[in-house]
Amino acid sequence: MNKLKNKINVKNAKTISDYISLSAQIEKDFGENRSATPKSIRIGFLSSFTTKGIQEVLHVQCFGLGAQIHFFESAYKQYAQEILNKRSNLYKFNPNLIILFIDIASLLSNLACSLHQQSELARKKWVNEQINELDAFVSALKSNSDAQIILHNFETPSHSALGILENKQPFGIIESIEHLNAKLRHRFKLDSRVFLFDYNSFLSNIGKQHARDEKMYYLGDIKLNWNHMPALGNAYLSYIKPMLSLNRKCLVVDLDNTLWGGIVGEDPMEDLKLGPTPEGRPFLELQQYLLSLYHRGIILAINSRNNPSDALKVLRTHPHMVLKEKHFSSIQLNWNDKASNLRSIAKELNIGLDSIAMLDDDPFMRDLVRSTLPDVLIIDLPPDPARYLSSIMKLNDFNTLQLTNEDKVKGEIYAAERKRKVVKLKALDLTTYLKALQTKVTIEKASKRNFPRIAQLTQKTNQFNMTTRRYQESDIKRFSDSPNYLVCSVKAKDKFGDYGIIGAAIVEKKKELWQIDTFLMSCRALGRHIEQALLYYLIQSAKARKVPYLRGEFVPTSKNELAKHFYRDNGFLPKKNEDTVQYFHFDLSNKYKKTEHMKVTLPKA
Amino acid sequence: MKPLEKILSKIFRVRESSLSDDSSQDTIASWDSMTHLLLVSELENQFGLKFTTGEVTNFKTVLDIKKALESHGIDLNK
Repeated sequence: MNKLKNKINVKNAKTISDYISLSAQIEKDFGENRSATPKSIRIGFLSSFTTKGIQEVLHVQCFGLGAQIHFFESAYKQYAQEILNKRSNLYKFNPNLIILFIDIASLLSNLACSLHQQSELARKKWVNEQINELDAFVSALKSNSDAQIILHNFETPSHSALGILENKQPFGIIESIEHLNAKLRHRFKLDSRVFLFDYNSFLSNIGKQHARDEKMYYLGDIKLNWNHMPALGNAYLSYIKPMLSLNRKCLVVDLDNTLWGGIVGEDPMEDLKLGPTPEGRPFLELQQYLLSLYHRGIILAINSRNNPSDALKVLRTHPHMVLKEKHFSSIQLNWNDKASNLRSIAKELNIGLDSIAMLDDDPFMRDLVRSTLPDVLIIDLPPDPARYLSSIMKLNDFNTLQLTNEDKVKGEIYAAERKRKVVKLKALDLTTYLKALQTKVTIEKASKRNFPRIAQLTQKTNQFNMTTRRYQESDIKRFSDSPNYLVCSVKAKDKFGDYGIIGAAIVEKKKELWQIDTFLMSCRALGRHIEQALLYYLIQSAKARKVPYLRGEFVPTSKNELAKHFYRDNGFLPKKNEDTVQYFHFDLSNKYKKTEHMKVTLPKA
Repeated sequence: MKPLEKILSKIFRVRESSLSDDSSQDTIASWDSMTHLLLVSELENQFGLKFTTGEVTNFKTVLDIKKALESHGIDLNK
């Protein structure tokens, strides 16, 4: 299969026809292997005009990421019927993601030129009607499906028949549409299922005068120039990547000619290009941007071929370094090859190589790593440092669907982990070490407050995850609301810092036994028996209800080997083994030993 | 610059050898209103030109397309 895959180079696709041919080629070569790709998404696409090509673009782009899509597109101008009819083909298709793309011309229809002539009051009424209708569409989509929803906002016109007097109008037409966009933004800000896609800003970025090919518009009702369809697909990938856990958690940076200009071992520190000079500012501003990524939860690490003392001296003492030692969760300064350093970083941070992106100015090094570690995302930097920042800003690989409090302090958590490891080296035996950490663990039942984080953990946790079932926030809510399920999360802190919520469990309460549907722990919290504390809580809860057995499942994946023996090591007996799942029983008449070296707070019964 | 036949073959998913100047919407089954526009878009991209709406609606046969390209100064024999 890989041989075949090499034959298809997604990067060769340029025009819409390239995408259409390539999509057909992929379907021909891989159509039967659909189920072999574990990551797949079902997209329902609703639009108010001809969007021929978007399916093929997304198909090819997702294929390039190793993911499959299943696509449903509403018939021409049938989006309202698909949305409002509960038994429509859209809902039968059972999408994970629905994209609703209504363009401004369809919204205005015959008002496009006459809205000017109407009264201020009439325009306000029109805006309110549009908001109410869109709101009704989104409500119907939400109640008739489980999908996440992307709603386009609207292009604000860059031309008015009133010319320079447009902005003298009371509630003019441009103001009306800006108002509509602002209202929509506000309306869905707190709705975790709905994402307002800023199509207006997308078009500004392309240049509105180039966004439409008038001839194609008149001949085929094509409102976005085909040449920009790949960019639109790429914008949708910003949402699809985190939905399929294809986003990157960690950015590994080189130092020389990446974070600063010049080479630290060869140039004196004062000659390095970094600071408020024409040649220094590209690096300064790049560092400022990387710091903002750090503050939104992206882990930073260094991978550089340098003498540690030279490089650390710059990191610690250069007056214009924005990024400090404390911002990096792993620092690899040595003469090893970069690929093995990346492996060390992944190991140290307990993350997969497929969570890592690499920033390096050296094209040779990039190719080398690309060929040895294909899972790592290699960012292609342009030769001119002045263009570094804009090429990094274009990436859509660092998105998450929610920003939890844990994300905001994640960098600190990992930096604290580096300190913990130092203590670990000094402490001789594990129990002393664990005691010295003064860990405090709190187990809580799921509630509205922690739904997003629990869902996120099911999405992102790969290694210590017994079943790797991925859930959306809406699923967690459904489990939590049901009397047949117990959903709980665990948070921890110790003398170095607060981990936040790092584990979760979902248990189905059947009469004859309780079945553990999901049991997972974020890797950075492993190795200190917090998982035993969580299991202890499940066992105690089941005992309290006089259930005879607690059943655990282990569903092997390529990444969760780590968790394989967890149930067996904790007093469960292996039961039947199937190819895809192993079952374990815990007899609840047995005792389960409580972990002693930490303080555990359980929820009230 | 890519020869015309290659583009036609890609858009209509037919063999290059099956194409002639007389090939038209009647002889190529996949030549419909949408592939017609895709063809126009691809020709414009590959040859770096813009057709008018009138030119595009007059493409009935491969020969029509050749003539239109030639009128834009494209030498297809090069």
